[in-house]
Amino acid sequence: MTDTNGMNRHLLRISAVILLGLLLLAEVAAAQEELASAIRRYKEREVSTGYYEEYEVTPRRLRPLVGVPGVSRGIFPYSPSAEKVRVRTHLADSHQGLKFYEELRCDYCHIKETKDIHTVRANISCRQCHGGEPIASLDHYYSPMNPIRKHAYVCAKCHEGASASFASYIIHEPPPGAPATQKSFPALYYAYWLMLVLLLATLGFFIPHSLLVGLRELFGRKGKGGK
Amino acid sequence: MTSPTAIKRFSRLDRVFHLGLMLTFLIQAVTGFSRLFITTAWGKSLSNLFGGYDNSFLIHQRVGLVMIIGFILHIIYLFTKINWKNLRGSIFGPDSLVPNLQDARNLGRRILWFFGIGSAPKLDRWAYWEKFDYWAVFWGLPLLAVTGLMLMYPVATSRILPGWMLNVAGLLHEAEAILAVTYIFIIHFFIGHLRPLSFPMNEAMFAGSVALEEVMEEKPAWVERLKADGQLEPVIVAPPAVWYRVIYYIFGYSALALGVYLLINGIVYSRYIRVH
Repeated sequence: MTDTNGMNRHLLRISAVILLGLLLLAEVAAAQEELASAIRRYKEREVSTGYYEEYEVTPRRLRPLVGVPGVSRGIFPYSPSAEKVRVRTHLADSHQGLKFYEELRCDYCHIKETKDIHTVRANISCRQCHGGEPIASLDHYYSPMNPIRKHAYVCAKCHEGASASFASYIIHEPPPGAPATQKSFPALYYAYWLMLVLLLATLGFFIPHSLLVGLRELFGRKGKGGK
Repeated sequence: MTSPTAIKRFSRLDRVFHLGLMLTFLIQAVTGFSRLFITTAWGKSLSNLFGGYDNSFLIHQRVGLVMIIGFILHIIYLFTKINWKNLRGSIFGPDSLVPNLQDARNLGRRILWFFGIGSAPKLDRWAYWEKFDYWAVFWGLPLLAVTGLMLMYPVATSRILPGWMLNVAGLLHEAEAILAVTYIFIIHFFIGHLRPLSFPMNEAMFAGSVALEEVMEEKPAWVERLKADGQLEPVIVAPPAVWYRVIYYIFGYSALALGVYLLINGIVYSRYIRVH
């Protein structure tokens, strides 16, 4: 009996030590995977595979500073009946409800989008990136063009190793000098106007300056010749 | 003994740098324009000179790297030219290309002189427009280099910077290239070839020397300074050989013709392209 009591006391002491020892261990990081895309240690993995661990999450810091007025970007509701789905950029078929759609060509409506570097210089057709019918809206959750997977499903087809950051390159660039671009892509807007002012100021000063130099030297020579 | 008719202006290395810059700049202008105007018949014919669009683009990239190396070498060269014992005098002195207050005064006086008010300013070794030429290249080249490298390695760039910076880099590269091309082909070529004092060609950058009479007319302060320092005799050199002059005249006028050709066609075809 005494032996049993003694053993129990030992067991209690050992258990207490183990339990107290557990307190000294690191806390369980339960929410770690939710941070996957935003922290550096997953970056290389993201670049190489296009996956963020086993989850696909919205790339946070690397989203472009481009927005469509009235449409909040980066929100991807899971439910198809959610409010955001009513916005055309979130439909499973982006051309849903368009009359005589079968008779139309992409450039009938999207003429500006057919005149950028990818289409004009690399001869890439719309379908090569946007896929076959039905063409899902850019922000539809299952669209290959959705920013959460565009880099892996679309960009990486040609640009090996493309990351989510890379996919924030604006393919269909807005006109850089247009007033609307000031809000949608301020860096491009200000870069354009800075360079334009620089060009006009340089030529605006040096062309008259050179002409006056030419005239004045011509007068000087004529004067000398007449003497 | 040689007759003291010309005064030394550029060292052999200065001229090698200029020649290298000229050649690479012209190649970049042609290959760059071939890419910019590829949707037009003219752009296609330009790119065909280099073996098509892809080859032309490849040459543009490789020559760009050569330019970057040249620029780095030039920076090293600048450091070797600095007199560390007299740093202030070396950087802000009259032989330096660093702009100073006198340049602003000269500009003001020269503008008045254009309209017959007062006399022309007595310029020293480097006129304010020559300093502008130098510094325009000095900041323009790194801008083209950085944006060019970003566009050359877009995937690697997007690991350091957000991908949309490539849009901005593309715009800056194009805009700076257009600025450089228009400035060189209009202003620099006018000053180098067509202004009455230079016509038919300012030979200084090829011959390394300028006729003493010419320097006395435009840059008397330089000659006066050299005389006062007793340094005029050592810098007086013989004029260049005739065969050498023939070669650089042909070369200079070929560059001028190419520049005018690119500029005129660029303006004509600009309506058919989207610049950015």
